[in-house]
Amino acid sequence: MSVIEAPAQSAASPQVSRTELEASGAVPLLCLFAGAAVWLLLGSLLALLDSLKLHSPGFLSSWPMLTYGRVHAAADTALLYGFGVPSALGVGLWLLCRLGRTRLTGPVVATMGALGWNAAVAAGFWAILRGAGTGYEVFEMPGAVAPLLLLSYVLIGICGVMTFHQRQAGPLYPSQWFVIGALFWFAWIFSTAALMLLGSPVRGVLQASVNWWYEHNLDTVFFGFAGLAPVFYFIPKLSGRPLHSSYQAALAFWMLALAGSWGGIPGGAPLPGWLAAVSLVGTVLTVIPIAAVAVNLYLTAGGALPALEAGPCQRFTGAGLIFWVIAGAQQVAGALPPVGALTDFTWFTTAQRDLFRFGFAAMTMLGAIYYIVPRLADAKSSAPDALWKGSLTKLHFWLMLAGVLTGYIALLVAGVWQGVEFQNPANSFAAVMKGAMMALRMSTMEPLLLTLGTIAFLLNFALLMKTCCARCLRERAGGRGMGKGGA
Amino acid sequence: MNNGVAIYLGLFASMAVSWVAFVLGPQAQMGNLQPATTVAALPAVYPTAAPGLARQGAEVYRAHGCVYCHTQQVRPKELGADLARGWGIRRSVAHDYIYDQTVMLGEQRTGPDLANAGLRMDATAVLARLWDARIFEPKSLMPPYKYLFDVRKIGRKPSPGALVVQPPFGAPQGYEIVPRPAARALAAYVASLRQEPYLFEAPPPPGSVSTNAPAGETNAPGGTNAPGGTNAPGGTNAPGGTNAPGGTNAPGGTNGEL
Repeated sequence: MSVIEAPAQSAASPQVSRTELEASGAVPLLCLFAGAAVWLLLGSLLALLDSLKLHSPGFLSSWPMLTYGRVHAAADTALLYGFGVPSALGVGLWLLCRLGRTRLTGPVVATMGALGWNAAVAAGFWAILRGAGTGYEVFEMPGAVAPLLLLSYVLIGICGVMTFHQRQAGPLYPSQWFVIGALFWFAWIFSTAALMLLGSPVRGVLQASVNWWYEHNLDTVFFGFAGLAPVFYFIPKLSGRPLHSSYQAALAFWMLALAGSWGGIPGGAPLPGWLAAVSLVGTVLTVIPIAAVAVNLYLTAGGALPALEAGPCQRFTGAGLIFWVIAGAQQVAGALPPVGALTDFTWFTTAQRDLFRFGFAAMTMLGAIYYIVPRLADAKSSAPDALWKGSLTKLHFWLMLAGVLTGYIALLVAGVWQGVEFQNPANSFAAVMKGAMMALRMSTMEPLLLTLGTIAFLLNFALLMKTCCARCLRERAGGRGMGKGGA
Repeated sequence: MNNGVAIYLGLFASMAVSWVAFVLGPQAQMGNLQPATTVAALPAVYPTAAPGLARQGAEVYRAHGCVYCHTQQVRPKELGADLARGWGIRRSVAHDYIYDQTVMLGEQRTGPDLANAGLRMDATAVLARLWDARIFEPKSLMPPYKYLFDVRKIGRKPSPGALVVQPPFGAPQGYEIVPRPAARALAAYVASLRQEPYLFEAPPPPGSVSTNAPAGETNAPGGTNAPGGTNAPGGTNAPGGTNAPGGTNAPGGTNGEL
């Protein structure tokens, strides 16, 4: 892709009205968000099934398709690739339009990308359930769908980069860096993993190291960037105060790109010692971006924690930011060798990962979606937020918050218990697992509440689209103006 | 930071640093790792490629997502109690995996580590666990994989290779449990997992016996049942495959950890 700075005066008229701007991306973004919402429900349901199978091993055990390992891989795939990546792309594209004060470039191409992506994920998801998963964690979709995934991603990513180039002159806002960073990062890590794990697989443990590197970069950098972009946009915007420091934001951005991308190799792995050491250094250095973001946004919000009685966007975004800080701090702690010796391979790591993925990534995406969708669906509305059913948004938020917190605490307790008890070889494996059972049962609340919350969200989404479509049709029938969007 | 080009270049540099360190560097160092010579009185080449049935079994292992519960890596003594638990006789090293396609080291231990499952169990014991792991451990969290077996009426005489399981877990009277090919392959694979010989980078503990004694004498951690006749000196593995026809479920072969 060209890195030549496009002149600020583009084909677009210098002043694009906000209505026009929102309407330009309505079709591709609503496709991305609607697909993401359906995958979120499917992923949460499978995560629930997986969690149930964990404490009732005999449950639905007679179908190969529903065996624990396949369901686990399919749930990860639905949540990360079905929900996570498309919603990150949708939010990112919208931010690039909004902050660049420009229309979305190539909405048709982006729509094709969205459809292609969803088709590829569906094919990969089905293949995993049929036993064709790759065996690489969070990279389970078989090689046959990787080209379609990458192609669809590139179609959407090019629209993002072109939109960025069409922006109107003026200083860049941190969210724009984060979106551009995320767009490039995923393309890079995904193509590396596809080539080195599936295309022409590297030898022996190098597969594991590429897999760990990919997983770590996907979480820490890609979802980190993609989630922080709306956080940096919405927290100042909704608290009505300017961003405290864009230097601190820049520090966080570059440290996350540099240090956040080093990591993910467990201490005792059968790899050269220097790799684990470099990984440790990188992970510990992520303390800097965590602190920089936390301080910056805390001061931006005027020293107040995000108000929970505020609108859905502010609630979800604020909670997501807090969970990002906690998950990041836990990741640093878990990487320290004395801690890692206890907690590696236990529920401790799972607790951290789930907090990052559900508590941070999913919550910030959903917060942004709650803001964006009504503005896309009815660009002319004077009170777009009122298009959501308030009771359902509240229900979704509280269910999700309760789910994330219960799951996190339960898995954390289970993980620490498991880690400490394992240290004593006299404790048999089964006895330790039995001891953690109560906490594991509790952790089933997480996927259960997430599923219920997602049902509320989908219902809300459907009602909103129905209202907007009905209004649009009425306007057309009345011969006044042209209806926008075709969703 | 208002210059798009600067951001692109900075991102590219950061990605490149990470990629060189974590992808290219290890590849340059170990991308062509060759089998090594074991540290023993009778040095041998290690590892050797797994037998065909075990290779097929690795595919079954992958397809069922076994990796989500079982790791295959033994950490060094100073990091965790893996060795003290008898999950291996030495730490795992890169050499152990050079012939694996789809290396599944795992990230979570809901079940025990399997890096040295072949030192603790033979294929028959693995099959019994696939049928129902609660035969050995009443509180086991492992799901039964009964769809990997055929339960059928016993003909004139029991089928060779039928799994013999004790009453509460077995098939009804007059029926027998016959492992399907996928189950046999999977069992052969798990029973073939053994990171046994000492290597230069994973030497025997100081003061241990192994350098002057045949390695076969020291290769069974924690008094486990080395399945009959497979402890070849120097640890060149001839595992798996031996599906002990009509096998019983290795009484006394349960060393508590599985």
